[in-house]
Amino acid sequence: MDPKWNEEQPIYRQLRDRVVAMILEGVLGDGDALPSVRNVAAEYRLNPLTVLKGYQELVDEGLVEKKRGRGMFVNEGARKELLKAERGRFLDKEWPKILATIERLGLEVSDLLQQETNKDSGVDND
Amino acid sequence: MTSLVSARGVSKRFGAVRAVDNVSFDIEKGKILGLIGPNGAGKTTLLKAVLGLTDCEGDLSVLGFNPFRQRKQLMQNICFIADVAVLPRWIKVSQLLDYVEAIHPNFSRKRAEELLRQTKIMSTSRVKELSKGMVTQLHLSIIMAIDAKLLVLDEPTLGLDILFRKEFYSNLLNDYFDEERTILITTHQVEEIENLLTDIMFINDGKILLDSSMDSLSDTYVELMTSGDAAKKAHGLRPIAEHEMFGKSVMLFEGVSRDHLEGLGELRIPSVADLFVAKIKEARK
Repeated sequence: MDPKWNEEQPIYRQLRDRVVAMILEGVLGDGDALPSVRNVAAEYRLNPLTVLKGYQELVDEGLVEKKRGRGMFVNEGARKELLKAERGRFLDKEWPKILATIERLGLEVSDLLQQETNKDSGVDND
Repeated sequence: MTSLVSARGVSKRFGAVRAVDNVSFDIEKGKILGLIGPNGAGKTTLLKAVLGLTDCEGDLSVLGFNPFRQRKQLMQNICFIADVAVLPRWIKVSQLLDYVEAIHPNFSRKRAEELLRQTKIMSTSRVKELSKGMVTQLHLSIIMAIDAKLLVLDEPTLGLDILFRKEFYSNLLNDYFDEERTILITTHQVEEIENLLTDIMFINDGKILLDSSMDSLSDTYVELMTSGDAAKKAHGLRPIAEHEMFGKSVMLFEGVSRDHLEGLGELRIPSVADLFVAKIKEARK
């Protein structure tokens, strides 16, 4: 139940990332309500302002919307937007590193696909 | 009036000992302030002065009152839990509610009963029949049923198990705290409360070592994990504390911007506990 916060980033930022992950995983769908600031604060024993700051990031990014007196809701198309951004980020930042590793190890496309096929059919590749 | 509590040059002497030594600070509405200090630092004396339980030198104003001279007016808008249980052992829960209802104009018996229904405490129980955790629950139920502007908690969870401590803080945030209320809290279990604070104050030998909002804390203080040449370079930037771990140097910087440290190693937000230890060591040098 207790989340582990890391020390690299402020908690409000990690909270924002958590909600983003939930949207990407489909746990929170378009139009779904985010848990209330008070509930999140109480559950995680965080200052309500921290929670609010995390939520505000999501509002600024256009992913959630604040409805007066009713709370925060996931915007239509939030997941699609996030996926687009995440794909871009993966291709820009992560893929070059992975590609460099693949080249360094001299792996062929067929090796990589073979690995996937084995996993699917449950063959132990040890 | 913007400050709920305002202290200017407040001191309290016990003989030759200055328990509180010329401190000045402000607490604003809607804050949750953690007062952290080693044993004998002067925390409780300072809280007592704020509550009007002891007189002091200097100017101290709480909710616009002089706490020592206008204690009666102050008490209507303030409530506190001391670090020692003060409920009489013989009293029944129902009698206790009668009593508080009679003496406190801002006490809601209905609210207290609602809160007590969430616990295993019976209105017919006597305080002496309750476990330590239950006495604190009882105490807290009464405190949370008082519509007060300032809540002072002196080691509220001392001696309670971890489950109960978590529940205590969850209840505090869920059922009690809002932007109209202000909480002043002392504890030794800093890591349990650091995330719920808006502001923090370190006190040692009666003096304030640090008084900051939690937000600016992570701007002012940075922890760097580094080794080799980068460590030498970082050392030149004068860390306020340094120790070795797994062959790496862990340094704590005050007022050095992240941009300066970027590239010298791994940057982290220091925990309040680490920061506290560093500040106390610095003060004792």
